[in-house]
Formats: sequence, C-alpha cells, structure tokens
Amino acid sequence: MNEMSEEDQLDRQLREAVPYIDDDGFTARVLQQLPAPRRARRPLRGAILLPSAIIASFLAYILSDGGRFLVVAIARLATLPTLWLLALAFGSGILVMAGGLVAAVSKTGELRS
Amino acid sequence: MELTDADLIARVLVDDDQHAFGELVRRHQSSVRGLLRQLTRTDLALADDLSQETFLRAYKNIRSFRGEARFSTWLYRIAYNCFREDARRRKEFVGIDEDKLQTEQDPQVANPGLRHDLMHALSLLPLRERSAVLLCCQNGLSHDEAARVLDIPLGTVKTNILRGREKLKRTLAAWGPN
Repeated sequence: MNEMSEEDQLDRQLREAVPYIDDDGFTARVLQQLPAPRRARRPLRGAILLPSAIIASFLAYILSDGGRFLVVAIARLATLPTLWLLALAFGSGILVMAGGLVAAVSKTGELRS
Repeated sequence: MELTDADLIARVLVDDDQHAFGELVRRHQSSVRGLLRQLTRTDLALADDLSQETFLRAYKNIRSFRGEARFSTWLYRIAYNCFREDARRRKEFVGIDEDKLQTEQDPQVANPGLRHDLMHALSLLPLRERSAVLLCCQNGLSHDEAARVLDIPLGTVKTNILRGREKLKRTLAAWGPN
C-alpha cells in the first residue's frame, strides 16, 4: 500500500517536472515543410473517370441493341399480375432498407473507433 | 464543439486538410517535444528537429494509422523511432551505467530543486529504463501501449519501469516524502 503511494507520488512528480512547452512557432514550421496538398490531383481523376464512364455507357448501349432489353423487361413487368407487382415492390423496398441499415451501422462503428 | 483527434484525422485523410493536421500538431507538440527532450538528454535543438521529423512522418504515413491505438501513442512510436535512428547515425545509442548514477547523486549539494534533481536523475537512467519510465509514468501510457511504442515485450517494459523507478527513488531519497 505504502509502496503504491510512493509510486503514485513519483509519477506525479515526474508529470509535474515537465511543464507545457509553448508552441512558439513550432506548428508553423512543421506546416511549412509539409508536401503540397493532394487536392491538385482531383481534377485529373475527374478527367479520367468521366470520359471512361461516358465511353462505357455508349458501348453498353450499342452492344445491347439500343437498350432493347429494357423495353422487353418493362413489357414483361406490365404483363405480371398486380399482386406479383406489389410483392416485387415490397421486396425491393425491404432490400434497399436493409442495405441502408447495414451501411449506417458499419459507418457508426467506424466513426466510434 | 471541439473536434476530436479522430475527426481531424478524418479531415486529413479525406480532404488532405493541412489546417486539421496543424491542429493535431498544436495539440500534441508539447508531449512529443517533451518526450524527445528527455530522450535526447535535454538537447533542445536536436529534440525539436526530431519532433519536426516525427510530425512530417506522421503526415506522410497517416493512412497507416488504423485507430487501434491512441493517436498520441502512434506519435510516440514514430518519435521514438526517429530518436533511435538518429542515435544510431550518431553512434550514441548507449545508456549510462549504474555506477555513474550512484556517483552523481547528491541533490542537496549539486542541485537547487527537486524538479531539477528528478530530471537529472532521469537523464542518467539507461535509455531502455528512461524510455519506459517517460512513457508510462510521465506520459500516462499503459504498459501494453509502451511495449508497442518501444517494440519490446510487455515483461521487459515492466522490468525496466521497476528498475527505473527504484533508481529514481534512491536518487530522490535525500528529499524525503513530500
């Protein structure tokens, strides 16, 4: 017990022995030496991604015969019974909500850690 | 509301926000510089150079910070590595032996105050004991965190702290209980 309080006292003395060191321009000197921000690279990333997305969409449109598969899919949906359509809409809603919940929970975990 | 270290780190990671990193430097500069001043035996110029190097490395490698440890612990580890590399370069990576500690302790004659004696006694400890005492007793790291910073086994940290404390207590015995 006595030894414990001696240790505490020594730790306290050690902490008190080191005063707070004033910044005194230290942070400014560090910031001056940092490399240039990476933000300059963002326009380049956009310049690559946007044309790639446009070309990929164009290719998909051509290869799918002018998006004909969409017309076929919509026509099939239109022939489905109303009850089936309702079930499909409900199922899709549940799936989207579950995905949103999973994303929100994992993001909360990340922020806490 | 004041932003947490985690918020500031997120801003550095996402937006490369150097102002946010500046705030992190402002928050931790005192403890990092204090640690390095003790490790370099109060060579202020060298300690500040190593502190700058520590923060520059932290900025360049911030993506490797996974948030498993406290940001300060991560910084101490970088600071200790900077110090060790510099000491290797200078070939001064040696501790002072116990005989020297014994011969140099006479606080009432040589030094005007307890604080001065404590710092002096601390500077005479071998590096392994000094580092462990500084991190755990002065900067409040757990033994486990100190083991990670110093990259040594947990048992070795505990032994070094025990030995370091004993030597400091012997040195300060002349002052009696406060």
